[in-house]
Amino acid sequence: MKRIPTVTVALIATSMFVLAACSSDSPSSEETAASGPVTVQLLTHDSFALSEDVIADFEASSGITLEVVSGGDAGSMVAGAILAAGAPTADVMFGVDNTLVTRTLDEGVFEPYTSPESSALRPELADQTFEGRVTPIDFGDVCINIDDTWFAAEGIAAPTTLEDLANPTYKDLLVVQDPGTSSPGLAFLLSTVSRYGDAWPDYWQRLRDNGVKVSGSWSDAYYGDFTFGGGGDRPIVVSYATSPPAEIVYAEGEPPARPSTSVMTDGCYRQIEYAGILAGTDQPAAAQQVIDWLLSPEVQADIPLNMFVFPARQDIPLPAVFTEFAAQVDSAEQLPAEFVAENVGDLLAKWGSVMGR
Amino acid sequence: MTITTPTLHRSPGWLRWAWLVPAVFLVIFLGVPLVSLAAQIVSPDTISYFTDPLPWRVAGLATGQALLSTALALLLGLPMANVLTRYRFPGRRWALALATVPFVLPTVVVALAFRALLGASLGSGLAIVVLAHAYLNLAVVVRIVGARWATIDPRFETVARTLRADRLTAFRTVTLPALAPAIASAAAIVFVFSFTSLGIVLLLGDANTRTLESLVLRQTSVLLDFQGAAISAAIQAMVVGSVLLWAARQRSSGGTFRGGHLIRPDGFARIVVGIVIALTLLIVLAPVAALVWSSLRSSSGWTLSWWSSVFGAQTIDAGSTRIGSPLAAMGRSLAYALLTGIVAAIVGGMAAVSVLSGRIGRAFALATALPLGISAATLGLGTLLAYGREPLDLRATGMLVPMAHALIAVPLVVAVATPTLRAADSRLVTVAATLRARPSRAWWTAYGPILRTVMVAAGGLACAVSLGEFGAASFLARADGLTVPLVIARLLGRPGEASFGVAAVMAVILVVMTTALVAAVDKGGRRS
Amino acid sequence: MTHTGLTVNDLVIGYGVPLHTAFTFAVSPGTVMAIVGPSGCGKSTLLSTLAGVTPALAGQVTIDGRDITTLPTHERRIAMVFQEPLLFPHLNVRDNVAYGQRRMGKSRVQARQEADRLLAWVGLEGLGERAVAQLSGGQAQRVSLARALAAEPDALLLDEPFSALDAPLRSRLANDVLAIVAGATIPAIHVTHDPEEAATMAHGNPGGSILSM
Repeated sequence: MKRIPTVTVALIATSMFVLAACSSDSPSSEETAASGPVTVQLLTHDSFALSEDVIADFEASSGITLEVVSGGDAGSMVAGAILAAGAPTADVMFGVDNTLVTRTLDEGVFEPYTSPESSALRPELADQTFEGRVTPIDFGDVCINIDDTWFAAEGIAAPTTLEDLANPTYKDLLVVQDPGTSSPGLAFLLSTVSRYGDAWPDYWQRLRDNGVKVSGSWSDAYYGDFTFGGGGDRPIVVSYATSPPAEIVYAEGEPPARPSTSVMTDGCYRQIEYAGILAGTDQPAAAQQVIDWLLSPEVQADIPLNMFVFPARQDIPLPAVFTEFAAQVDSAEQLPAEFVAENVGDLLAKWGSVMGR
Repeated sequence: MTITTPTLHRSPGWLRWAWLVPAVFLVIFLGVPLVSLAAQIVSPDTISYFTDPLPWRVAGLATGQALLSTALALLLGLPMANVLTRYRFPGRRWALALATVPFVLPTVVVALAFRALLGASLGSGLAIVVLAHAYLNLAVVVRIVGARWATIDPRFETVARTLRADRLTAFRTVTLPALAPAIASAAAIVFVFSFTSLGIVLLLGDANTRTLESLVLRQTSVLLDFQGAAISAAIQAMVVGSVLLWAARQRSSGGTFRGGHLIRPDGFARIVVGIVIALTLLIVLAPVAALVWSSLRSSSGWTLSWWSSVFGAQTIDAGSTRIGSPLAAMGRSLAYALLTGIVAAIVGGMAAVSVLSGRIGRAFALATALPLGISAATLGLGTLLAYGREPLDLRATGMLVPMAHALIAVPLVVAVATPTLRAADSRLVTVAATLRARPSRAWWTAYGPILRTVMVAAGGLACAVSLGEFGAASFLARADGLTVPLVIARLLGRPGEASFGVAAVMAVILVVMTTALVAAVDKGGRRS
Repeated sequence: MTHTGLTVNDLVIGYGVPLHTAFTFAVSPGTVMAIVGPSGCGKSTLLSTLAGVTPALAGQVTIDGRDITTLPTHERRIAMVFQEPLLFPHLNVRDNVAYGQRRMGKSRVQARQEADRLLAWVGLEGLGERAVAQLSGGQAQRVSLARALAAEPDALLLDEPFSALDAPLRSRLANDVLAIVAGATIPAIHVTHDPEEAATMAHGNPGGSILSM
């Protein structure tokens, strides 16, 4: 027993020594020659995807090798970037959204850069660059999804508004995700906060009385509880405005003529995904090229069918499945990023007490 | 006191330095990342966060849940360990390998299967979480207790029965005392896994079945409250450390080693063995059967297209980097698993024999168990800060994932090895020494066979850890270096029938890979 | 109760299929029947069938007129000693010997007193507190014998009990066993692969026999 402290102390001491040894190495690390091949590390979350040939074309034309590194889910990626602020684990980060972006700005994660391609941004996104520190790349809407087949079979009209969801007609039919652990879950909560203001807890109380089910993750809700996904018993789920086209694209064999799910366009919450140059990068010029590329028409046109979100540029024609089946939400709910950053903790705590979680 | 600990002067010289291997490994892959992370977060006012009642309340809830999960896992796992590791019957090796399957199933897959099977009757909450934890941890009990049980001469019980003890009394008075340290070891690890569980708790739990791990995730990923997360992680590490310390204190009694001798079941035993095998297959395979069913179904009926899309196309989404080649992910997962098994068996084996040699003792055993208490998020972030940026960016080497897996597996190897090795009769060393064997040879004569049995049991478990691990890999894998669990998670993260169907195929493949790999490791180890 | 000893009638042993032709023999109290034969011919299976560990395929086993063929092991009152002493490692010498007494419902104190008496009988007076790992091979096998006797068996089965010991120790222990069997007036079966040892055991006490397999 007496040995424990000694060994523990020894271990900690040794690890500190090794740590010190590692960090004191930095001046001697080799300088990358400007003329040689340049590698840019792109830090993204685990939903990032682009076509291989789009990436290959960029590498061929720019001479930059793009190394995509994953930082886990979006939240973990942002946490990692904040902890490494100033000495980043990559050169460019893509995928921080408007619920988390404020904290990254406060912590000095990004180096300002305004891409010449920004002029092509959709007008409502053009002014959301936080003084040019981040660049909007895509956006998507978190919306209530409806299993049309189920409602047709039951002979009930599907709900069309947030208010409907609290109506006894739709008792025990809705499944949402826990906002504390799921990104669409949080977006849906923010949407109700945006809609109902300070009265949002009353709305959730009514949802609770109406039998709303709370699931831990999007996959669990969509494949476990949603009637369409995997044989659950709830025909209304919080998902994305682009889930119906995804249903077509990822169908078995011959795609069906129409998706069997649809989107309720009321109460959608808009998520914007940003990219930015990580402060402290030793490849600032190449990193700028990567941002330009992410905003280029090639990448922007490639985004919808890979990530099932909408391109941030206004001049990109959408694929047919999007124009036909994705909901084009004109009046999505949105809260100021600063408000979200300041209040998300309180909102979650309050939501937890209303929902008994 | 009947503890038989070989003393250093009888052991070969290199044993004196064996502890350096695990020590260096732990410092590099655990110590440095944790210190890097702490250096970013901890400040003088971190201490004040300790007064926040929330993490303490969550710790209380998680303790109750983990105790129940542990009790159930032991209740189900002990009979399985007995039958699968001691009795001779056709297909024994495959049944043993199958019992490892629950351990590697991605939690999201287990959660979906449990909801499909039990969701209607149990809903979300404590009951289904405890069941799922017991299911996932069966392999821990079977492997750790089984490794010890297999080395106990069955004739001890026979002797007891000829001395007028009925079967139950013989078990209670003779076998149980010999198993106690292994049971304590297994119980501690099941407790720790249940106490730090993330996926199952998020997917099947409710307000009263939270864990500190889920709190840490929320604090780091949603609230970006790093101070709070550090406190939650520290409380978790403290609870885990105390539990492991308790387990390390459980004394072992000796028992003659007699490996490889299986009992031929007769009469009464035959019936019991049959029932336990049937129950094992039923429990293990029910969720797997649900997966196989999902992998063959589409909205239009039975289909083979999910299977052909995995083995036919280059990538699941032609022309896209989205998921990459599933075959490549399988190859990568297998390679990582083998590497993890080898590294963990060596590092854990050195740790176990160091503990045996007496000088380093339990404090060191505790240190090797520490990775169990460190959350995947903590480990992932720390490793990223330490080895994911200049001047030391190791991500491109592809070694970070298997090393993280080995780190997680080492405590399991130690847990399997120590109770069994400690029980090996050190008199064998003396006997061999009097026959003029050199110390090194004498030591190998005494410990070689038992060490191999143990390393194989442990290596198999380590492979399984690697095959199923998700949390650390999600931080450390490169976008073009996905493992099978990561592929499954990504598939399940998007809508569409194909996503779910192909995810089910990949999960079935993971089951097959695990069974085959663990069976192969067992077989390789048994062959002399 | 009549002390007629151990009687075996048309006993067929084996695991599912017969391993040997049917056995018929009797062993009187106070005598030793030695079974000799090469390894793998079923000697150990015969003992384990008599002890009730392996079920008999056919036939009958009685002790002192009591039919024990289908009784569970712990109700047969047949004690067994193996090649290795198989002392319970978590108990000291005294508690090993006291084990059977405890199972018979004796109090801890009574059981320990009886254990000390038996230890003295096998020449190990004063070693009760020892850890079993500290015994020599000969001492351990004596403790094992004492432990078997403490359960007050109606018959004693010895499965190669001396083969791990060196020659001088063997002959000493052989004499001890013969004395114990005579003193306790119980029948004993002694299995060995050594014809010389078989002869010693069978003819050490009057009335013994040899069965060659």
